[in-house]
Amino acid sequence: MQPRETTAPLPLPTAGRNRRAAAALWGSGQGLRGARPRGQGAGPRGVAAESAPPEGRERQRRPNSRAHVSAGSLHKRPRLVSGAGDIKLTKDGNVLLREMQIQHPTASLIAKVATAQDDITGDGTTSNVLIIGELLKQADLYISEGLHPRIIAEGFEAAKIKALEVLEKVKVGKEMKREILLDVARTSLRTKVRADLADVLTKAVVDSVLAIRRPGYPIDLFMIEIMEMKHKSETDTKLIRGLVLDHGARHPDMKKRVEDAFILTCNVSLEYEKTEVNSGFFYKTAEEKEKLVKAERKFIEDRVQKIIDLKDKVCDKSSKGFVVINQKGIDPFSLDTLAKHGIVALRRAKRRNMERLSLACGGIAVNSLEDLSVDCLGHAGLVYEHTLGEEKFTFIEDCINPRSVTLLVKGPNKHTLTQTKDALRDGLRAIKNAIEDGCVVPGAGAVEVAIAEALIKYKRKIKGGARLGVQAFADALLIIPKVLAQNSGYDLQETLVKVQAEHVESKQLVGVDLNTGEPMVAEDARVWDNYCVKKQLLHSCTAIATNLLLVDEIMRAGMSSLKG
Amino acid sequence: MAGGAREVLTLQLGHFAGFVGAHWWNQQDAALDRSGDAKEPPGELCPDVLFRTGRTLHGQETYTPRLILMDLKGSLSSLREEGGPYRDRQLDAAIAWQGKLTTHKEELDPKNPYLQDLLSAEGVLSSDGVWRVKSIPKGKGPPPVTAAKPVIPLEGGVRVWSDFLRVHLHPRSICMIHKYNHEGEAGRLEAFGQGESVLKEPGYLEMLEDRLHFYVEECDYLQGFQILCDLHDGFSGVGAKAAELLQDEYSGRGIMTWGLLPAPYNLGEPQKNIYRLLNTTFGLVHLAAHSSLVCPLSLGGSLGLRPERPVSFPHLRYDATLPFHCSAILATALDTLTAPYRLHCAPVSMAHLADMLSCAGKKVVTAGASIPFPLGPGQSLPDTLMQFGGATPWTPLSACGDPCGTRCFAQSVVLRGVDRACHTSQLPPGTPLPSPLHACTTGEDVLAQYLELQEPRALSSSHLLRSPCSVAPPYPHLFSSCSQQAVDSIPVFGALCSSSSLHRTLAGLARELTKLDLRRWASFMDAGVELDDVQELLQDLHSLAQCYQEGDGLTD
Repeated sequence: MQPRETTAPLPLPTAGRNRRAAAALWGSGQGLRGARPRGQGAGPRGVAAESAPPEGRERQRRPNSRAHVSAGSLHKRPRLVSGAGDIKLTKDGNVLLREMQIQHPTASLIAKVATAQDDITGDGTTSNVLIIGELLKQADLYISEGLHPRIIAEGFEAAKIKALEVLEKVKVGKEMKREILLDVARTSLRTKVRADLADVLTKAVVDSVLAIRRPGYPIDLFMIEIMEMKHKSETDTKLIRGLVLDHGARHPDMKKRVEDAFILTCNVSLEYEKTEVNSGFFYKTAEEKEKLVKAERKFIEDRVQKIIDLKDKVCDKSSKGFVVINQKGIDPFSLDTLAKHGIVALRRAKRRNMERLSLACGGIAVNSLEDLSVDCLGHAGLVYEHTLGEEKFTFIEDCINPRSVTLLVKGPNKHTLTQTKDALRDGLRAIKNAIEDGCVVPGAGAVEVAIAEALIKYKRKIKGGARLGVQAFADALLIIPKVLAQNSGYDLQETLVKVQAEHVESKQLVGVDLNTGEPMVAEDARVWDNYCVKKQLLHSCTAIATNLLLVDEIMRAGMSSLKG
Repeated sequence: MAGGAREVLTLQLGHFAGFVGAHWWNQQDAALDRSGDAKEPPGELCPDVLFRTGRTLHGQETYTPRLILMDLKGSLSSLREEGGPYRDRQLDAAIAWQGKLTTHKEELDPKNPYLQDLLSAEGVLSSDGVWRVKSIPKGKGPPPVTAAKPVIPLEGGVRVWSDFLRVHLHPRSICMIHKYNHEGEAGRLEAFGQGESVLKEPGYLEMLEDRLHFYVEECDYLQGFQILCDLHDGFSGVGAKAAELLQDEYSGRGIMTWGLLPAPYNLGEPQKNIYRLLNTTFGLVHLAAHSSLVCPLSLGGSLGLRPERPVSFPHLRYDATLPFHCSAILATALDTLTAPYRLHCAPVSMAHLADMLSCAGKKVVTAGASIPFPLGPGQSLPDTLMQFGGATPWTPLSACGDPCGTRCFAQSVVLRGVDRACHTSQLPPGTPLPSPLHACTTGEDVLAQYLELQEPRALSSSHLLRSPCSVAPPYPHLFSSCSQQAVDSIPVFGALCSSSSLHRTLAGLARELTKLDLRRWASFMDAGVELDDVQELLQDLHSLAQCYQEGDGLTD
């Protein structure tokens, strides 16, 4: 392994410098290639078997800066260890970019675009970086031969429009059934976590989205709570058709397990604010003070009594349970009274869980106890508590037709939890995108090959130097299949030529099979990508590359905004 | 559950806040040690107010600050985000990935000699099963660890606050804002608007809410929050947003905000100076709107654009350019000023204290402290107080100019570390009394009488504590009078007052802001602040300043 080191001092904003700098940092695609294998469909093929040529580039930042990130090949997952020893394990380009301290302004700009892409679509970070880098690299070839950047930019623009047309043509509109959603989720997750974990997560995310999906309404991913638990191993991650709260009852006498329970969600203070807070009071005698204190205490006791009355009414000596989940506080006295009446009470529920609670168990969250009735109550088949060290978890399960569910992430340590959680988020986004687009596009580099092919034909219609811009654009897109091949340990040129030939011959969308290095029909292998991600990619990459080419001063944009 | 203590949750936002906080937690930790091993009765200050008892997955008991701190990427140095007693080496090593792995390791930030020393002292203790925040073996007078090998963090060796932090933090304490860099040119958090937008992002907001929930849910009698917040950079925006969130979510609780400014300002860069002014003003006004009480804390002479000499203490020598020194002094003041709501018996709740000081909208207060309180040998409290004459006994710590000649509307004063024997005058009977103070029979009376004499029209509350402020290392050695011998605790006299000097200060800020041509600072505005916001800010600032006008008949 011979790492080439690229030190990145801040170069002067001279013409062409940023172009080259960007190409040097990102251009060859090695900067992050480890992070983006477009995985494949079924079986163990998502992560290919053998190793890639050991080659990597270390990118060095300022001497005292933090993360040293170099790139590995597909099977090598970058593990980042901070100066203090904190570990982060990831293959997700977005996570990598957020973790790194990028000092070079152009690189920093590209990184920002890439993370913005992730914010919007939830995927495509690495592709973004790769394509922008490659666009600049290809452009550099022509510019060094004397072509004006403006003309290249024109070509890029024309190519982009054509590329979008092609994308429209190749997209596959389908009814989003569970099977195809599983394929989409698998394609996305396989690139982020190892295969057996990906399979576990794939099912969990698809089922969770299907559970909260309501025909005619947009999908609200907010209704899927992601809860982490430092416990067991990551493959124990599962979907809970109900809710998991990360706190428990605060009274030793309350039951740890309640079956067939009514759930009362409320936002009412059951806490006695000490009188000294209300500074306006002045007492003449001790008895008077006592009386006032009692009166205030009584006020809270009345509220507690109302809940107890309701419980007695609905449970009526049956064995049914009763659980109160309050957004406000409950003080020890009230807890004690509730516990005596066999009520389990949780205090200070998170605001965002209040809505989820009523969607999961039914019932309505009440803001006052005045008009408390049976209609306000929700229901759950099982409520139980799980204690881990100082942390408690309350599971509310067996809900009838829950419209809010929980993905319970498990793992032995923090970095595994974070890694799984990031993957889940991306998986959820991918499914949401697919459902909202109503269509998907073939993955494994097939789209890029098809677009490049179409552009080569198209360029003949373009006159003048802009034709070269279209050519550069087509070449740049091919970086995706190339990186896929290289990351899986195959000869990139040979693979690319084979795939292109197959594409022309079969007129089908052909991508790279990461297990064999051979061409394969992406549709048959059930490798699907999000349509909106690809569309966004074409838009943002062109825009940024064009801007970087045209405006040297853009260098400053990434720098401290102070200089503005 | 902490035996009926009225819990307070601390938020530390920003790097300088980290410095002040680290010193403060160290001081409290040292006080814990002292009350732990001597036969002394339990201290007057209840540590459970700010600390929490917890349990690790292995069942070990922990005692860690009830704290949430936010800082930027790259500011932790050798401190781990998830560290201390909650770590499990074996589980941490488990990796959810098959196949090859490339590890990109930064060079480990070397632990400075002080931390290494601390670590080795702790290793011995942790073998007895119960983990305690402690580095000094019990029952021996002078701490032998430091006596044999006095490893005191060197001024030069302290780059970040974790370099001298003695206490362990709970894994939920540290929140990193990865969006901005601690060092370097690019990606700085430098404008109020940027800070505000950090907490508008769902990711960070959720992180903060989760952590708040974790600490608050376990409190039986939460009395409020104290926010230590940097005012000079974008953290003023983070603080404003956090205070807003707390006010929304936990209405009725006290929110005590300490706006921290490192001194002195870097004058070489006018740009930074302007940004500092803007951030400070925006921060102050927004924080005042959302908290019960705001107190700027700085050793600088003024909040405005024009620099003034940092304040001087009669008995301290410090280097104003070192955050390590400045933060130590401010932490000592904080430890004293916050005493009323941390007392074991008859505490004044935070909300009550704030109510008392902030009547009629005067939510901004100034702080002052006399560090150390100059109680000479053989002198009694009345003697010392009379020595001050009519002058204010404390050095101003709020960068609001000289308090001389201004009016104080309300004040809360704490004097700590004075021996009970010195509380009252010990003059032989029959001697003519030098002052009415000498006639008082208890120390509390002396203090109350003194305040009455000084500010006859002010609403005053005073507390007299026996326990001094701990200044054991890593507290820097700042004391000029007793240069050689080690000092491990000092008496401190501190005050929070709502004084008319704030009228001048706030009106001054408004004036400077009006003079600025804000269009020149487009990058500040880009971060989410609009021209209308500035107009609104000026309005608010004017009405806030108006509250402190003298002679308008608002006497209480």
